[in-house]
Formats: sequence, structure tokens, C-alpha cells
Amino acid sequence: MVGPIYIIAVALGIAFIMGLFGKSLKNFTGWAMLAGLGFMTYVSGQWLLEFLNNNRAVETIYTAGFKPPYSINLQMGSYEALLTFLINVVGLLGGIYLYKDLKKTGTNAMVVFLVFIMSLNVVVMTRDMFNLFVFLEVGSIATAGLILLDKNGNALQAGMKYLIATGIIAGILLIGTIFAYYFAGSLNIDDILAANLGAAKATVIAVFLIYVSILLELKPFPANGWGIDVYTAANPGIGALVSAASATAMFYVLYKLLPLGGAEWLNYIAVIGGITFVGSNLMGTKQNNPNRLLGYSSIGQIGLLTMILGLSDILGEKLVFVAFGILISHYAAKAGLFWLSGIIKAKDIKGWAALRKSPFLLFLFGTFVFALIGFPPFPSFFGKWELIMTLATGGHWAWMTVILVGSFIEGIYLFRWLGYAIKLDHEELPDFKIEWNKFFPVWVMAIVLYAVGVYVTPMVEGGSFINYIPLMFVLFLFAIDFLPVYIKNTVSIGGIIWYMFHIYPVLEGDLLRLIFAGIFLIGGVLTLMAGYSKKGTRKGFYPMAMMMFAGLIGIIEASTLLEFFFSWELMTAGSYFLIIRGKRSMPHGYSYMLFSIAGAYAILFGFGLAFASGFDTSLAALGSISLLPTLAYTLLAVGFMTKTASLGLHIWLPGAHGEAESDVSPMVSAILLKAGVFGLMILFLYMDRASTGATNLLYVLGWVGALTTLMGNMSAAFQEDAKRLLAYSSVAQLGYILFAISIMTQLGWLAGFTYTINHFMFKAVLFLVIGGIVVKLGTHNMYEMGGMIKKMPFSFVAVLISIIVIGGIPPLSGFAGKWLFYNAILEKGWYFQGAIIFFAGIIAFLYLYKLIHSVFLGQLKDNHRNMKEISAWILIPSYVMIIGIMIFSAFPQYILKPIGNMIAPYFSSEALSWEGTKALTSFGYWDGTTVMIVVGTAFVLLLGWLVALSSKAKKIEQFNIVFAAERPHRPETTHVSYNIYAGYQKALGFLITPFVTAFWDAMSNLVLEVANWLRRIYSGSMQNYALHVVLFIVVFYLIALGGL
Amino acid sequence: MIKKILIIGLLAGVGLIFFDLFNAYQGSEVLGKTGRYYAENGADEVGAANLVTAVIVTYRGLDTLGEVTILFLTAAIISFVLKFRREDFIPNRPVRITSELLDSASQVIVPVIFMVGIYIFINGHLTPGGGFQGGAVIASGVLLMIMANPNFGISHKVIAKVESISGIAFVLIGIMGIFLAGGFLDNRLLGLGNLGELFSAGVIPIIYTFIGLKVGAELSNILGTISHAQNEKN
Amino acid sequence: MEYIIISTGFALALLGLWGILSQKNLIKIILGFTIFNTGINIVMVSIGYVRGKAAPILDVIKPSEAADKIVDPLPQALVLTAIVIGLGVTALMLVYALNLHREKNSLDINSFKDLKW
Repeated sequence: MVGPIYIIAVALGIAFIMGLFGKSLKNFTGWAMLAGLGFMTYVSGQWLLEFLNNNRAVETIYTAGFKPPYSINLQMGSYEALLTFLINVVGLLGGIYLYKDLKKTGTNAMVVFLVFIMSLNVVVMTRDMFNLFVFLEVGSIATAGLILLDKNGNALQAGMKYLIATGIIAGILLIGTIFAYYFAGSLNIDDILAANLGAAKATVIAVFLIYVSILLELKPFPANGWGIDVYTAANPGIGALVSAASATAMFYVLYKLLPLGGAEWLNYIAVIGGITFVGSNLMGTKQNNPNRLLGYSSIGQIGLLTMILGLSDILGEKLVFVAFGILISHYAAKAGLFWLSGIIKAKDIKGWAALRKSPFLLFLFGTFVFALIGFPPFPSFFGKWELIMTLATGGHWAWMTVILVGSFIEGIYLFRWLGYAIKLDHEELPDFKIEWNKFFPVWVMAIVLYAVGVYVTPMVEGGSFINYIPLMFVLFLFAIDFLPVYIKNTVSIGGIIWYMFHIYPVLEGDLLRLIFAGIFLIGGVLTLMAGYSKKGTRKGFYPMAMMMFAGLIGIIEASTLLEFFFSWELMTAGSYFLIIRGKRSMPHGYSYMLFSIAGAYAILFGFGLAFASGFDTSLAALGSISLLPTLAYTLLAVGFMTKTASLGLHIWLPGAHGEAESDVSPMVSAILLKAGVFGLMILFLYMDRASTGATNLLYVLGWVGALTTLMGNMSAAFQEDAKRLLAYSSVAQLGYILFAISIMTQLGWLAGFTYTINHFMFKAVLFLVIGGIVVKLGTHNMYEMGGMIKKMPFSFVAVLISIIVIGGIPPLSGFAGKWLFYNAILEKGWYFQGAIIFFAGIIAFLYLYKLIHSVFLGQLKDNHRNMKEISAWILIPSYVMIIGIMIFSAFPQYILKPIGNMIAPYFSSEALSWEGTKALTSFGYWDGTTVMIVVGTAFVLLLGWLVALSSKAKKIEQFNIVFAAERPHRPETTHVSYNIYAGYQKALGFLITPFVTAFWDAMSNLVLEVANWLRRIYSGSMQNYALHVVLFIVVFYLIALGGL
Repeated sequence: MIKKILIIGLLAGVGLIFFDLFNAYQGSEVLGKTGRYYAENGADEVGAANLVTAVIVTYRGLDTLGEVTILFLTAAIISFVLKFRREDFIPNRPVRITSELLDSASQVIVPVIFMVGIYIFINGHLTPGGGFQGGAVIASGVLLMIMANPNFGISHKVIAKVESISGIAFVLIGIMGIFLAGGFLDNRLLGLGNLGELFSAGVIPIIYTFIGLKVGAELSNILGTISHAQNEKN
Repeated sequence: MEYIIISTGFALALLGLWGILSQKNLIKIILGFTIFNTGINIVMVSIGYVRGKAAPILDVIKPSEAADKIVDPLPQALVLTAIVIGLGVTALMLVYALNLHREKNSLDINSFKDLKW
């Protein structure tokens, strides 16, 4: 083993040698620097391995051969080994990254770089207060020098601000240190901690001064203008180090000194961290400069970590795991992002659209953003999970809220940025070069994130259950992404089919899960089949689609809260990438993501309450929520409803589904929405229905469902865009489902299931077929279509049958749903809501008519004269679905009867009974098979009669009509479909004034305005920043010790 | 105006902190634990008559290494920050004529200053003073030379060599401490000798000589670079 | 005695802070810094003072009786380190100021506000 002291000795030795030979041997210095960094990495790495593998004691290094406190001692324990290793790795990678820049500036810059990393090592290892001060100063001076690596006016100003601020902070730390020595009689940190300086009134000032200076070094909001400017102006390679290495070291310093003052100081630390986390992220929302934005995000993340340390009493033994998970994610992601920023060199985040030129870099960018927000499988996900669960256990709702709100705000700007990179229309994409030395470090950091994520999974309670097989499949698809579509499509379908066989025995006997698994997996196969109609390689599609399906099936398989949430987030991530693939999808993908994150955090909060109620990690914990049950149910319901797009939370859906690619729309509409339904069903089954909270919640949800239906159907009726019409129709259908299951009777649930299955099938058909037509005709606008019945007869029949289902017209299963539905309403006695639903049902006919008429009937357009039927690859899955609809319509008892039996135990009365094919309720009966036979016979007879009569009919050519002499200015306005329901809109349009959209717009404007107003404190004046630092000190003092 | 009031208020706040510290300060009647240890054992363990030197060079040698590093860093940063293009360099910028007094004084005094500086760091373990002080005195001689002749060119090469070799020597002596004595920067590589003699206190005089040279070189380097920077065309 | 010294140190530190926060000229701000640091250094030295004791140099004082005759050497050692660090920081600040002056031909603190928000 090489002793840790050699980190210092060798780094300094090399630095001095570089000074000696630097001028004459230019190449030598570069290699010497890297060798030095490599050596430091090696030393800390071997110690890390040693601590991981052998349970050895902490190594203390005594300098000068004397024992502390009379001499300085360093410590190498497992934490020190880990953190120095992290610092040295990012130092080595950063050295490789900056190699050319450093070389351009000369030997001196390399010396400074090497010493900088060395100083951070000492800061981590030292156990002496004054030594800490010295090496903090070494680090500060080195930073001030490295800022000037890019010589520009901004860097100069930033460096000056940095020097002034750190100068004041160092002075305060020095006073604190000398008084700690005065009171404790020692400079050794362990002695000072043991002296319990926080206890006496006189000595506590030293504690305050040390805390405040360390906290200030961590750049607390709002006294951090000097830090942000460094991130903004310095070379991003330096930004990466300041963010990943310096902040890591400072974080550890705070950890070392945490016991200095006792428990009440922890509260202050937590509060300062919390304010920084939320405030800094809020500032980030108005940023367009990528480096500055990363600066705000860095400071925010460090604020979160500070807060976690402040909560260490509450977190107990979980502290290390939580802090590590979040720290390592911040570390790798932030370093990676800064380095990416240095490759792209854009002054505005919109310029990151250039990343599209390099899909692999885009992938890395996405990795970092998702890691920062805390998506699986990254370590921050597990860290945040444990954090929330532990906080919930202690009943710290306020802290949970702060964490989730801050994380959400961070999502606001990170996903806007990611959206820009993936999709922003950008005329001229700036060119950038990818040099291997810049690319390599970014790549390593991404690997670190994945590897550590998988590595820590089993350390979370219940984490070992997480099934990584589907994710391996996703990874495999990434690996074969260069292959043509048909191969990847076949592989994907094969994968899903294999999984069906794998999962069937697991789920056998659990009908609820089996039904949803069927929807997800069969739906997956059928919608994927449409993919055969695509050409080329379709880069990125398959991994993301499979990630979504992995998430969906994971939700089904989940037996624990963690598994459920893990899969839920996975599904969100996958579906986000699918949705944002559409041509004009950027804003919609963005709002989808924001609603999803907010929903996920609501669910997380609810899970926290569930877990804390009985320390049960299984999903059954939802059944015994004793802590704030009403809040928990509401949060969970709201969380799931972000996916079902219920009224108020629906504004993302029409755009997201309408603008998505033709085969993505059915995936996200027919399949993905059901995840929310599944979540709601699980919740409703588990929760304590008898409680007032739950009853009220169900009542409210019933109204929400009814109003969602009305709004959805009306909006659909006024659409000109065929896909948006279908999207709004989905909103309405999900409203029916929500309403039905909120009734909470056996009939209601049967209706809910029927609607779920129906919607899955008909919406898949409609989106597939209409999507295919839209692509084929090149327009979304229905008034630009028409007369397609002769060109696309199969499509017409498919759409017709689907419409019959939606309309609830006998004999198809839509009627079964309606029949159950009205029975349930009558039984429950929700007459007002029922009336709304009934009214909405009538409106549905308006849009259904519009859809079939405008597209298939009417006049064929000139430019569509040579159209052919849409691809067979779309029709085949559609017709499979239609066969499914027919079977379900004719023999509903095969599905509904078992479902009825399954859910019967949950409900007091069994309201539906079966006599053969006949379903009976107290209000009447219905027999699907008979109805099918009767209507079918009538249909065949009528059709025969029509065919028989057709020989007498006179054939009329399309243009055999009288034209007016003039052509109107905008011909489309004369189309019957154009604004077809203007009259209704005039009369009822007020009902669908987009006040929900307006509400959310106002909310987001409010957030942005607050951010805009608050960030005025960053006036740019270095004196003001110094003022902020002093103000922070004084205010903190007055609050903490004002009564002295 | 508001800002002025704010500043006054803030200074009052900081003043309050200082006032509380002042109240907490009682003075000392006897040495504290650490100070007592140095007083009782410093002479035996380290062998330096100047206990401050014993603390700086040996007990807290790592701090001193950091301190040297800071000067080294500062010199390095300043030279790359003030680096400019060769074509902007004017070899002889017009300067005010140096007064007779300064000119002659520099020639007479500078060697004396250097000698004093060397004396200070060589005797650092015996009398007040040491490497930093001696180095600073030497640098003040260089400053005098620069002031007497602003176009006076210091040989950066020589300075860099002195600087680096002293630094390497410091680190090497420190490492030798690990193998030959109790730890990094232990001064007992050589015998401690008799307290109060020039050749005593182990390697302290050697270390302090290197520190003196290094500090002198670094400070001179900084002064030279800044002076040099003014030879740049605007 | 030591009370006068330590309060002088605090007063100087406060004075330096006033200079940093209120002066407009960058050089004066840097001077404020050195005053601030000097004040802190004086505070540190006075912490090590023991009433009526001599400097920790064992030329006249015998090692055996040193513990009762000298002041604490440690704070003095720390001050030396702090002075050198302060020197480094000041030099760096001055060089920054020099370059800022080159950039904008001004030393007014308010002319360097290009980075904000």
C-alpha cells in the first residue's frame, strides 16, 4: 500500500519538477501532470478497494513523527478514500479533457491544476483545523488562477469576485479557528469536536464562525453570486472541477465538522440547505446560458446535500446512503454536463440543438439530465427514495415537500433544455468538433452513473427485487441501434412475446394484473407491428419504446412500493422520449414531463406516508395508511391522474398524443394511459374506503371524471385536427373510466373494466388507422381530407367499427359498457354526474360523425386521387383488435364474469349475476350474445336488401354537381367539416374555455416572474456580492445567537 | 444612501460579533495544553531554540508546505496571467530618471540586504525570523533594484531553477522523514545537536534555507513579472 | 494590555471590512483586504499571549522552565502562515486588478458588471 501522504508529496514534487523542466521540455510537463493525477487516483483507489474488500481500521497519518494535537494528522478512512478517489478521478479526467487548453497556457497552468487537485485531497483528509484552512486557501488560489484559463474580461471579473468573497470567508474562518483553539486548547478537529463548544454561551461563537464560513464556501443562496459567476465565465472544464471536485471536498468538510455545535445547529444547516436548493433552482428557471444554468443547478444540488447533512439526526444510518446516492449523481452528471458544454460551446441552451448531430452525445446528455432529476436506475433515484421514506418515517412532511418542490423546479429547466436539444427547430446548428480527449471523460461519467446505480440497487430496502432483465434488453437494443427497422422491430416483438410466456405463470390467478399485462403486452406487440411500415433505422426508437414497456410491465409485476415507483419512473422516461419524437412535439413532451414529474413526486410522497405507517415495503402498505390517510390517498390519486389526464391535469395530452408519430400515438394513448388506471385501481382496492377522507375523495373524483368526459368530448367535437380529436376523445374516455371506478361498486368497476378494455382496443385501431392516413395524406386537418372510403375501404370499416364501440351502440361492447355504466349510476344514485355523462355521450356522436364523415365520406380531393390503402402492417394489427372487439362483444361473460368474481370480495353487494350469456342487475338484463345475433342478422338482411336494390341505383360521378361560378377565397372554409359545429361552439363553447391551460400558464408565469424578480440580487457588482456574504453572516448570527 | 445605511448596519452586526468575541476572551494566565507541550518538549524533541520555528517547520510542517505551495501557486498564476505576446514587449520603456540617491543606495545596500536575508533564514531556528522572513528581505532587495532601474531584467530562468530545486528539496527532505525518522517532514533526520547552536535542530536549518531561497525567488519572480508587465504596449 | 491589542485587531478588521464594502476603487478595496487580514492577525497573536510572559525563544530561558516563562508559540506560527497566505492572495488580487484595468481602463468597481443574473 502506498501511504496517503504520497498524494501530497508526489503531487508537489512533480509540480516543482515541472517548474524546473517546464520551459525546456514542453511535452514532458503535460505527461508529468497526467502522471501525477494518475498516481493520486491510484493511491486513493487502492485505499478505496482496501476498505471495500477488507474490514480494516481507519488509517491515521501522523506528520513530523509526533502525535496530534501537537502535529498535524491526516486520516484515511473509507469515506476519505471514496471522496479522494472521486476527486482524483474527476481531476484526472478533467486533466485529460483540458489537456490542450492547459498546454496552450503553459507549464504554469498545469502546475496550478495539479496542485489544485492535491489541495482538495488534503482538505478531505486533514484532521487539523488550521491545516484545513491552509489547504482551502491553496484550493481557492488555484481556482482563482484556473478561472483565467480562458482569458476574457468576464473570467477576470468572475475571478476578482471570487477572490473578494473567499477572502472575507477565509478571514471569518480564521477568526473561528483561532477562537476554537483558544477555547478547546487544540487545533485538532477531533479535540475541538470533543470540547463541545456549542454548549457554553461564550464558546459558541467560535462554532458559529466555523459553520458560517464552511456554509458560505458551499455557496448558500442568496450569498452566492460570486460562485455562479465563476461557473458562468470560466472554461467549462474548470466549471466541471469546481462543481464536481471542489464541492465534493467542501461537502465532506461540512460532514467532518457536523458535530461541532450540537443538534440545534443541524436545523440551521438544514434550513440553509433547503433555501439554497429551492432558491437556486428557481433562479435556474430563467437561465439561458448553459454554464450559468449548470452553476445554479450545482449550487442547488449542493444545497440539497447540505440539507441532508442538516437532517443527519433524522436520517440516522441512512445518511450515508442517501448522501452518497445524491452526491455521486451530482458529481458525475455535473462534470459530464460541464464537459459537454465545453464541447458544444453554445452561449445559449438553444444552441444545444447541435447535439442532434451526434446521437451518442445526445444520449449522454439525456443520461445526465435524468440522473440529476433522480430517475432510475441512477443512484440519485435510490438516494431520493430512501431520503423521502426516512423523512416520512419521522413525520417530517415539510422537509419532504421542500425536497420534492425543489426537485420539480430543477426539472423545469433541465427538461426544457433537454427538449431544446432533442427537438428545437434551429435554422443553423452550430458546428462542433469532438476531440477524443474531450469525449472520453464525458463517456466515463455516464458509465459511472449506470454502474453505480446498478451497484447500489441491492443496498436499498427491497431493492434486490428490482428486475433488471428488461433493462438489459433495452441496453441490448441500444447496442443494435444501427440495424434496420425490421430487424429491431422483430427483436422487440420477440422480446415482448418471450416476456409474455415468462410472466404468465407469475401472474396466473391474479386477474386484475393479468388483464393489464394483457393490455400492455398484447398491445405492445400489435402496435409494434405497425412499425414494419417504417423505413430506415429509426434511431433511438426501440430502446425507448422497450423502456416504456419495461416500465409498464414492471408496474404490473411490482410487489413492493419501490419496485412500483422504479417502474413508474422508467415508463415515464421511456414514454417521454417516444412522445418527443414527433415533429412538433417539443412543447408537448415538455409539459408531459413536467406533469409526470409532479405526479411522480405526489406518488412518492404518498408512498412515503404509506411506508411510514407500518414500515411495510410491500404494495399492501397502501392498505394500512394511518398517517394523514386523506392526504396520502389524494396525492396518490393525483399522481396517477397525471397519467390518465383527468380534468385539470390533461393539458399535456392532446398535443403529446396528437403530435406523436403514427405508431407512437396508439402506444401512448391505448396503452400508456392504462398505467394510470391500474394505479388508481390498486389504490382504490387497497385504501380504507370507509374513511371519510376516502369517501370524499371518491366523490370528488367522480365529479372530476364526469367533467373530464364532458370537456373531452366537447373539445374533440371542435377539433379540425384528426389526431387531436382522437386525443381529446381519450381524455373523455379516461374520464368515463375514472368516474366508473370512483363509484366503487361492483357494477361501477365492471363498467370501468369494460371501458378500459374497449378503449384499449378501439383507440389503438383508431390511432393506428387515422395515424396511417394522416401520414399518407400529409395533413392532420380533416377538412383537407374526404372521400377516402373508396381508396381505403379497410380503413373505413375499421374506423366504423371503432366508432360504433365508442358510441355505445348495440351490438358491440361499447353498449355493454354503457349498460353497466348506467346501471351503476342508478344504483349509486349519482344522478347529477350521471346527467353530465349522458349529455357528454350525446356530444360524442358529434365528433364521431365528424371523424368518419370528413375523412371517408364527402368529396375526394384532387391531390388524393392516386391514394392507395394504408400499409398492411397497420391494418393487420387493427383487424386483430377488431376481432378482439367482436369476441368481447359477443361473449362478454368470458371476461366480465371472472372479473365480477374477482372484485366481488371487495364490494359489499354482488349486484350483477349471470344466467348463461345473460347479465342481470336489479334494473334489468342484457345478453351480449343474443344482441349480437339479433343485430347481426338484421344487419345482414338489410345489407342484402341494399345490395339487391343497388342494381337500380344510378351512379353519379364526383363532379356531376352544379358549381357556383366563383371560387371562394379560401376554399376549405366551404368544406362541410370546416368549423362544422360553429353553432354549437357559439352556444356551448364557453364550457371549454381553456381555463385550465390558462391556469397552468399563469402558474408557470408566476414562477418565472418570481425567479426573474429574485435574480435581480445578482446585480453583477462584486461589492454587492461581498455585501451579500457579510449580510449572510450577520443575519445568520442574529438569528442563531441574537439573544446572546 | 440606502446602501450606506445597509453597510453601516452590517458593520454594526459584524461589530456585534466581534464584541461578543471580545467578551468571550479572558486573556490567559497560563499556557494551554498545546502551548505547554511545545514549551516542555519542543527543545528536546525538535532541538530548535526558537519554538515558533519548531512549530512552523516541524510540528506543523505540513502547513508550511502548504504555505510554500501558495506562494509557488501565486507566482505561477501571475506569470501565466500576465503573459503577453512577444511582439507587444518593449525592451526599454521610458521611465522617470532614477534619483542619484536611489541609484547609489541600491548598489551599496542590496548586497547587504541579501546578506541580512540569508542570515535571517539560516538562523531561523535560533532567533526570531526564518525562511519566510529571510526570503521577504531578499525580495525587498530585488524590489530596490527594480525601483532603481525599472528596465532591470531578472533572469526568470535562474529564479525558476532556484524556486523549483528548493521546492523539490523540501519535499524530498519531507519524504526522507518517513523513512529515516518518525514521519513526513520529521526534522530528526540529522542529530538535534545542542540547543542554541547553529548546527542544531536536525534538518530545520536546511529546510529553512530552502524555504528562504524559494520564498525569495518566488517573491522576486512576482515583482519581476509585475514590473515586466508594464513593458507592454497598450 | 492584551485587551487593548485584541480590540485593536477587531477594530482594524472592521475598518478593513468597511473599506471592502464601501470603497469604489479596486486598489482601495484590496488595501481594505490587507487591513482586514492584519486585524485578524493581531487578534490571533493576542490569543496566544500569556500575561507577563516572554517570547518563545529559548536563548535566555532554560528549556526546563520554559512552560512558565513563555507565551504560546503556536498562534505566532499560525500568524506567520496566515500572513504568507494573505500575501499570496493580495498579490493575486493586485494582478487581477492590473488586468481588469487593462481591460476597461478603469478601476471603478462598478465598471465590472458584465456578468449578472
